Amino acid sequence: MDFIYNKDFIEIKDKKLSKLDKFVFDFIKLIEKNVKYVIISGYVAILFGRNRSSEDVDIFIEKINFKKFETIWKKISKDFECINTSYVKNAYDNYLSKGLALRFAKKNTFIPNIEIKFPKVDLDVWTLSECQKVIINNKILYISPLELEIPYKLFLGSEKDIEDAVHLYNLFKEHLNMKIFTEFNRKLKTHELFNKYIK
Amino acid sequence: MNMPKIDLKELEKQKKENFRQRLEFNKKYVEWLKKTSNKEWSKQQKELID
Repeated sequence: MDFIYNKDFIEIKDKKLSKLDKFVFDFIKLIEKNVKYVIISGYVAILFGRNRSSEDVDIFIEKINFKKFETIWKKISKDFECINTSYVKNAYDNYLSKGLALRFAKKNTFIPNIEIKFPKVDLDVWTLSECQKVIINNKILYISPLELEIPYKLFLGSEKDIEDAVHLYNLFKEHLNMKIFTEFNRKLKTHELFNKYIK
Repeated sequence: MNMPKIDLKELEKQKKENFRQRLEFNKKYVEWLKKTSNKEWSKQQKELID
């Protein structure tokens, strides 16, 4: 894999986009001008070549008021529909505002889907504020910083998550900020898993 | 760069809650599967997996 990795972005050119990639880009195009977002979890590993698929893509969006959300909802509704509810007020009041996720799929489909939620804990807020810019074939996406993504995957702990972590670490180990990476491993108590599976 | 405060208990709680939401989604997904033709659900699955 050829990529550019610097302090501002990670860039991959000439990627043959998968259906899942196109699905994600289609969604991001509808929200990127109106709200700050960050893609977290499994799709980050898949974006960088991990050989698996996923039925959902998790995204944090910044906390916004109902009016702003309604604008985004209208844009999203051009191509996608919400699986949880058809009512924007219900979506905002009983899902997003209560810390629950909303799932959106392309109209008349169920999978794959995008799961959006507001950041809940400090770590979520940090993920959004420190998001990492990725440029794929000149298109921009924002993902969770890899120094957190990898330890967090270890924290989640399923075989699939550990494999994602191993994949990302092996791919980007020369480029990670090891001070931050180690600090997250310490805070999340994932040092042992790191030593066992990755180091 | 300021590091965020991490409360492991809170994160474990979040992990459980996310799992609960995934199970809830799986229930909905199976409901959808049951009422969707083989042609349609398998088409979507094929597109996802291929």
